[in-house]
Amino acid sequence: MAAHPAIDIDSLSKKFGDELVLDRIDLSINDGEFCVVIGPSGCGKSTLLKCIAGVSDPDTGEIHLRGKNTEAQPARNRNIGLVFQEFEETLFPHKTVEENIAFGLRQKSEPPSEEHIEGRIDEMLDLLAIAPTKSSYPDELSGGQQQRVELARQLVRDCDITLFDDPLADLDYKLQKRMEIEMRRLHKELESTFLYVTHNQDQALKLADRLIVMNEGVIEQVGTPEEVYTNPANAFVGRFVGDSNLLIGNVVQKTESEIRIETQIGELSVSNTGDQPTVDSEGAVLIRPEDVVIGDDAESCRNNMDVVLEGKTYTGEVTEYSVSVSGYKNELQVVRPGKPGDIGNKNEAKIGFNPNAAQFFEEMSVTGDIQASDLLEAEQ
Amino acid sequence: MNEADNLLTQSDRPEQSESERVMLDVSGLTKIYPDGTLAVDDIDFSVDAGDFCVIIGPSGCGKSTTLHSLVGNLDVTTGTISLDGVDITDQPTHDRDIGLVFQDFQLFPHLSVAENIVYGLEQMELDDQEKNRRTERLLEMMQLEDLADRDPEELSAGQKQRVALARSLVLEPKLLLLDEPLGDMDYKLQKRMERELLRIHREFDTTFIYVTHDQTQAMRLADQIIVMNDGQVEQSGSVAEIYNSPNTAFVSAFVGDSNTFTGNLEKEHIDGSVTVNTDLGSFRASSANLQSPIDEVLGSEMSFSVRPQHLTLSGEHENTLECRVQDVIWNPGSSTQVLLDVQADGASKEISLKSWEVSTVPEGNVQVSWKPEHTILLEQTSVVEGIDLQKDILGS
Repeated sequence: MAAHPAIDIDSLSKKFGDELVLDRIDLSINDGEFCVVIGPSGCGKSTLLKCIAGVSDPDTGEIHLRGKNTEAQPARNRNIGLVFQEFEETLFPHKTVEENIAFGLRQKSEPPSEEHIEGRIDEMLDLLAIAPTKSSYPDELSGGQQQRVELARQLVRDCDITLFDDPLADLDYKLQKRMEIEMRRLHKELESTFLYVTHNQDQALKLADRLIVMNEGVIEQVGTPEEVYTNPANAFVGRFVGDSNLLIGNVVQKTESEIRIETQIGELSVSNTGDQPTVDSEGAVLIRPEDVVIGDDAESCRNNMDVVLEGKTYTGEVTEYSVSVSGYKNELQVVRPGKPGDIGNKNEAKIGFNPNAAQFFEEMSVTGDIQASDLLEAEQ
Repeated sequence: MNEADNLLTQSDRPEQSESERVMLDVSGLTKIYPDGTLAVDDIDFSVDAGDFCVIIGPSGCGKSTTLHSLVGNLDVTTGTISLDGVDITDQPTHDRDIGLVFQDFQLFPHLSVAENIVYGLEQMELDDQEKNRRTERLLEMMQLEDLADRDPEELSAGQKQRVALARSLVLEPKLLLLDEPLGDMDYKLQKRMERELLRIHREFDTTFIYVTHDQTQAMRLADQIIVMNDGQVEQSGSVAEIYNSPNTAFVSAFVGDSNTFTGNLEKEHIDGSVTVNTDLGSFRASSANLQSPIDEVLGSEMSFSVRPQHLTLSGEHENTLECRVQDVIWNPGSSTQVLLDVQADGASKEISLKSWEVSTVPEGNVQVSWKPEHTILLEQTSVVEGIDLQKDILGS
């Protein structure tokens, strides 16, 4: 195993004009990892990728690839696979799909045999469901097909490190789902390092060995999808990753195991996980929709309340409820597996959740300039 | 038992009992483009007043052509379109009483939010009081009161979307068409806007037709789903009907995840269930989803599907398969997905299982089982002849 991380980033900063897009980023990615970067648009995730690829120069800081400083290393010498969203300009218009994909392989210092190349191309075309386009030219393909050709062209090169900027974003839903599974399989097979940027949360949670959550040029949290989802570092991360109900509240009482928080839907009991704040401090309470119980079972939860059922949506796998609590303007979300139960036909119901289903955050974000109310408005 | 029977439509509320009324009726609609492409092939469907109808299908299936025929941007080749009992097929767009919201909003950049909303009203013969009443109502409903004097360029994507909706709804159209209005938004905003759309639909009480290729969005929004494929309608029905009682293998595979098997229908049991023999073994299936009498299809080739969440990682149910675990995808906040290779003599197949309860998945070989009632028989592959199911579903 390599002694060096595949990618090691030390205090990387980048400005566009007066705007600090990357603010002293430190990040280390292990050999063979599948890392996914997520964050709101403008958070710096694509710029980070471009700096690693060498198509954008950082202002300060260092990037080491497998232990080697990249400062003097032009992009073409970094042996990095790149799949960017602006793929149209990268395909050769006068080469067929097959020739486009083969190009990278034939350019290698020790190119594989033609037989091997052909086998790999057919495999890739099948995998990406574009086998019938093998002899077509790029301008004869749909946008989704072109994107898959670009994906094939990069993956077939089998680089140590491949960078992806939302490569599945323009594909039809069904194909996207299938490609997610193929990306996982490919990553396992190739045993290479993937650094992947997406705006699609579901995809990020599914693909990542480690998730990197960025916001305003800094990293808010790095961890496995499970860690980031169940133990978000702060309210921003909790709000950004996955769906959630967010309430603003004040700590009114505190014991060893629990804190009591006054919110707009009443006083709530929240587990005290150790480093909890003092009485009177303000913060945000986060409750995941799937941790809320609706109907008769809600009665036995430590926190429960009467709600008006505003809407319900059965999606085949789950039922999503929108409910409102008297005195609070935002609707709360509840998700239960399966089809709607008896509750589905009533207008009023009870919801409930236990203290361990709720988390209280005094810290909104590592950026330090976000208020709880900003988080509520951020998605408008 | 058919799961669809005990489910009501999503916006089912007592005061909507008059919604039995048909708002839109499309009959024999066909569109052939000048280059000879048959985009829509003799389709029929109707939409009840007050319903949220979503048209889905792979790219190139004809859903956008259908939408633009309804609004009058395209001349239909043959067929009739009736709105609220009136034939509007040959009416010009502006006389149709149909609103259209695009993906790119198309707001007037030099007009304020309020001016954008009131713009369409100026062309109507209404008194000022009525114009004001309607504008105020829309500003309030869309939570745009504080932004009324802003220019569109100062707004976020979500706010622009609300202005675009308000601008169409202020005309109080009988039908509002939405062409992938959330297509370009990022995930968080999309989810939020879906809930907004549902709320607006509930409050405004008009008929919506929404086109998307994102079937999970369709499932969240729709009272009625129309599944299109290659210019034809595969099925029209409630979410529960489409999901639990698909007409064709195409619908079963396109809407939600499913595992599809093919074999021969061999035997009928006393309880009305049947046995299907496949390369991977024999499985018992409920005949609930069969359209033909059993006698007529016994001995013929038959497909069936099983939803991933109806498979369990144990041998407790009647239908069992020996599998090898290939991959486990933990989805925090959602079900865990297990990808499996079926182990059988000379045949192989990949299947998918989903569970909210699984906390550990054993490595290597496992037994998977499911109930006969979750074995959905599919007599027909598709209403389209000679399709390649796998390829068609993925779109172009």
